[in-house]
Amino acid sequence: MIIEKFFNKWIMFFLILIPSCGVIFDEPYFITLATKVVILGIAGIGLNLALGYCGLISLGHAAFFGIGGYITGILSFHALNDEVLFSWPLAVSGSSEMLIIWPIAILVSALFSFIIGLLSLRTSGVYFIMITLAFAQMLYFFSISWPNYGGEDGLSIYMRNSFPMVNTMDPLSFYVISLFWLLFSIFISLRLINSPFGMSFQAIKQNEERVKSVGIETFKVKLLVFVISGTITGLAGSLYTDLNRFVSPTVLDWHTSGEIMVFVILGGMARLYGPLVGAAFFIALEQTLGSYTENWQFWLGLILILVILYARSGILGLFDKKLRHEK
Amino acid sequence: MKNKILNIKNLSKSYGAFKVTDEIAIDLNFDEIHALIGPNGAGKSTLIKQIVGSVKHDIGSIVLDQEDITDLNDVERAKIGISRTFQVSSIIPKFSALDNIILSLLDKSKETFQIFKSIRKNKELDAKAKKILREIELFDKSHILASELSHGDRRKLEVGLALAMDPKVFLFDEPMAGLDESGTKMMINLFKKIKTNSPILLIEHDMDAVFALADRVSVINYGKIVATGTADQIKSNVLVRDVYLGYEI
Repeated sequence: MIIEKFFNKWIMFFLILIPSCGVIFDEPYFITLATKVVILGIAGIGLNLALGYCGLISLGHAAFFGIGGYITGILSFHALNDEVLFSWPLAVSGSSEMLIIWPIAILVSALFSFIIGLLSLRTSGVYFIMITLAFAQMLYFFSISWPNYGGEDGLSIYMRNSFPMVNTMDPLSFYVISLFWLLFSIFISLRLINSPFGMSFQAIKQNEERVKSVGIETFKVKLLVFVISGTITGLAGSLYTDLNRFVSPTVLDWHTSGEIMVFVILGGMARLYGPLVGAAFFIALEQTLGSYTENWQFWLGLILILVILYARSGILGLFDKKLRHEK
Repeated sequence: MKNKILNIKNLSKSYGAFKVTDEIAIDLNFDEIHALIGPNGAGKSTLIKQIVGSVKHDIGSIVLDQEDITDLNDVERAKIGISRTFQVSSIIPKFSALDNIILSLLDKSKETFQIFKSIRKNKELDAKAKKILREIELFDKSHILASELSHGDRRKLEVGLALAMDPKVFLFDEPMAGLDESGTKMMINLFKKIKTNSPILLIEHDMDAVFALADRVSVINYGKIVATGTADQIKSNVLVRDVYLGYEI
């Protein structure tokens, strides 16, 4: 545990170092990459609560990532075109203010997580995996067949949404905003896992029957974890749309669910910083191997196999063990 | 009826043509330890599962403290006061012994959905859990992971989990299996002490422990209760000797 805390400090150091290098060497691309890592890390931190700490193998978190993304895209699209979002029962216009978009993205992601969780959590095991996947795919196909917002081609928003007194088009400024949300997500996760509620959902992962036998309503606990998890992932989706100034059905595709799951598994399930490390590793592979071959994901697959076979605690867990041996 | 805290009538469960429990009628008085004995496969553990609600019965009724709980699910039954141990140890393996007990205290102290309060700073839960660990003689092993405890210590921990719930009745499924002599002795003394607050329905194969503890004994065979009586009556029952004890005590 002490060793893990030591690594966590190093991770925080790198989160400051990499964008600083981008500024010093005038390479804004580094800052954009770091922002991508941070945002995907937030998505992974969301999934980690459900998957890593509670044992809920959701293959549908793309739904929440995409909902957050599309809410941001749609509100921004209407604001830029000066069109009302809907006119009945009240005329509601879009918005290009992050401070308005975030709460809406968070609320809608929470609502969808609640509905999907309410239905999915009646199942378990492989059925739970399939039902969460099915919900995400439903939304994916819906987005494809929704011409108002670009259908298959997606939706461009041209300008990043605004934040008071900050130039969000400046990569470093947007990085700082994303970093704030990352730290907030880590803080929420940390508080949750150390709370009585956290104790309940971590116990459910290990022995649900025993948890039921001590009078804890496991369904309600799992549902609340699922909602918090989906909401954090939805927030990441909102930031991701602003990063790219574009949202398309790809964010709702099952590949996205798979990628978020890969971040969690690669970095280390049920490790606070695991998904962030996993996302960083994933992006690093994409950038390095991707420059040599289009099929870089073959190597990612190979690494994933090795991690699952030999390092089930992920990259962080592997490092942790190594240090313990050296001691 | 007023003297009974648990009253089970006509409880039956079949898997196809096979009757696991067959019109079981059993009750539990206040301040009592009622032992349930019988050969392996007789239906003892299935009966426990039916009482706690993890196995649905086909017909019959269960009344706990004047309240019909027949239609309640397993969590609702645990909440209103049925606490159990499992035939095969069931603990939270990656939690310490202390955390296992704290988990068991959460529902009663209405802490389950406390989202941002640190569990480590809850002195009240910590103190209650440590008191229970002392009672089950596991205080010295408070911080050991439950998965690293010996089999006997896990059995004690399970009893501790049941105690933490402060229930109306205890259902103990072979709590002394695998315990050494001192562990069994500790358990016997503990059960004698706690039965005054919450009576115990005890399934146990250790006949010395059963006859030392039980105020009443029921014998189950092929899913049917074949005899009920005091320890002495059961010891001298010819039918019981034939179906289970196999010897004269």
